[in-house]
Amino acid sequence: MNKTFRLGLGHVAFIVAFIAVWELASRAGMLDPTFFGRPSGIVAYLWNGFFVERNLWNDLFYTILAATIAFWAGSIAAVLVGLVFAMLPRVHKACEPYLTLLNAMPRIALAPLFLLWFGLGVGSKIAVAISLVFFIVLSSTVAGIRGVNSDHLVLSRALGAKPRDIFFKVTLPSAVPVIFSGLRLGLVYSLLGVVAAELLAAEHGLGQVLAYLQSTFDMNGVMALLFLLAFLGLSITVAMNWIERRLLVWQ
Amino acid sequence: MNDMTAMNAADSARAIGAPAIELRDLTMRFGVGTASPVLAVDRVSFSLAPGEFVSLIGPSGCGKTTILNLLTGLLAEEPEGDVRVLGKHPSAGNPDIAYMLARDSLLPWRSALGNAAFGMEVRGAPKKEREARALELLKEVGLGDFADKYPKALSHGMRQRCALARTFALDSPVLLMDEPFGALDAQTKLTLEDVLMRLWSAHRKTVVFVTHDLAEAIALSDRVIVMSARPGRMIADVPIDLPRPRSVRKLQSDHRFHEYYAHLWGLLEQGTTGDE
Repeated sequence: MNKTFRLGLGHVAFIVAFIAVWELASRAGMLDPTFFGRPSGIVAYLWNGFFVERNLWNDLFYTILAATIAFWAGSIAAVLVGLVFAMLPRVHKACEPYLTLLNAMPRIALAPLFLLWFGLGVGSKIAVAISLVFFIVLSSTVAGIRGVNSDHLVLSRALGAKPRDIFFKVTLPSAVPVIFSGLRLGLVYSLLGVVAAELLAAEHGLGQVLAYLQSTFDMNGVMALLFLLAFLGLSITVAMNWIERRLLVWQ
Repeated sequence: MNDMTAMNAADSARAIGAPAIELRDLTMRFGVGTASPVLAVDRVSFSLAPGEFVSLIGPSGCGKTTILNLLTGLLAEEPEGDVRVLGKHPSAGNPDIAYMLARDSLLPWRSALGNAAFGMEVRGAPKKEREARALELLKEVGLGDFADKYPKALSHGMRQRCALARTFALDSPVLLMDEPFGALDAQTKLTLEDVLMRLWSAHRKTVVFVTHDLAEAIALSDRVIVMSARPGRMIADVPIDLPRPRSVRKLQSDHRFHEYYAHLWGLLEQGTTGDE
């Protein structure tokens, strides 16, 4: 039996024990299911939501859709702005105080404003998520480009590399790992922004379902949604790690 | 397979007896117009014949790296005096010049092959041609089996071999080397010096080699130029009359090698203490 297998077995045993204790404590009346739900009830809710009434698919789709759009739009905009900053340091310097101010603001506080501007649909969710993703990816892009090894620059210049070559063959590739860690964080925050905005007010989405379940005291449903969101975040992180390992084999 | 235009420049320089590199009364001041201008290099004159290997030695701050950077055309300050590389004034990105630093400066996201080809790539050589030549040079430095390895998988010595391959792959007639083996351990250094000697014998470049290692300077060079502490002045220009081809390892037990060492050491001491 190898080490990873034993570790995996340990995790499974722990989770099974945790769920069993929860279920038994709830049935024995030690844990109030009104506040904590009950594992069997949570599974029943998910089963019903995905395979009987099938209403959760639609909400899952809207949440993922909004998070994906916000991630792509926010990241692309941030990388482009970061590149412009790298090429025009004076523009960067001029913009910096405003960006610092915007970045210091708790972005979730913008949600009511965006709901007013963009309505109850995905538009306002995307806007909130972009406001988070953009700054995360921008700061990692700027940091990555700044972190270029000066030896590489001196050598490239001495060998006769043109500024364009230096930028695309030295500066940009050296920034990729830092930009990538920003993207990974950005994707997680994109989901966070969307769900937070949905909690406030929405037509569809897991956050909206969560708010509804909470207001009707359906604790099994609330717990089910929390687990669902946690797994969604986890699969994002795992997928990004996988892509990173394949993209950055040289690291 | 050689870069014909570059070779022609060196050949024609040799044919008419013109020096490959010439410095006349070179004086460098930094911070001119500020409160404390620094005289870095003071009236230095020397020249290198095509194919000659000359070392610059001297204490830290003697201006040897300044002279090298001046030849690459990377310095913003204008020197006094006249400096010529193959008859031309220095300019950044001059294709007649290849440059090598103490740190290997390999790009970590490129394989050894990609790194060896990098110099040719920024100079616009076609992909097929530069990869063939890079592989050839990697074989010459003993890295033929490591062409697809990334720098993280290479040892210090191997990385510097790869940097040598990148430098020689350029086929520029003039090589400027700034303490290229300064960061290596003693044993690896000797091995790399022999690799450099082999490459130099095979490719016959004009080399300016900056080092603070006296033994290295003697073992490799046709001439050793000794400089004083700041402001950098030339103390001596010593021809090293040891037979070629040389093996740096064998030289370690040659009595003439040690005589040169003692002689140059005395000159260096003079320059450091400032006695005339």
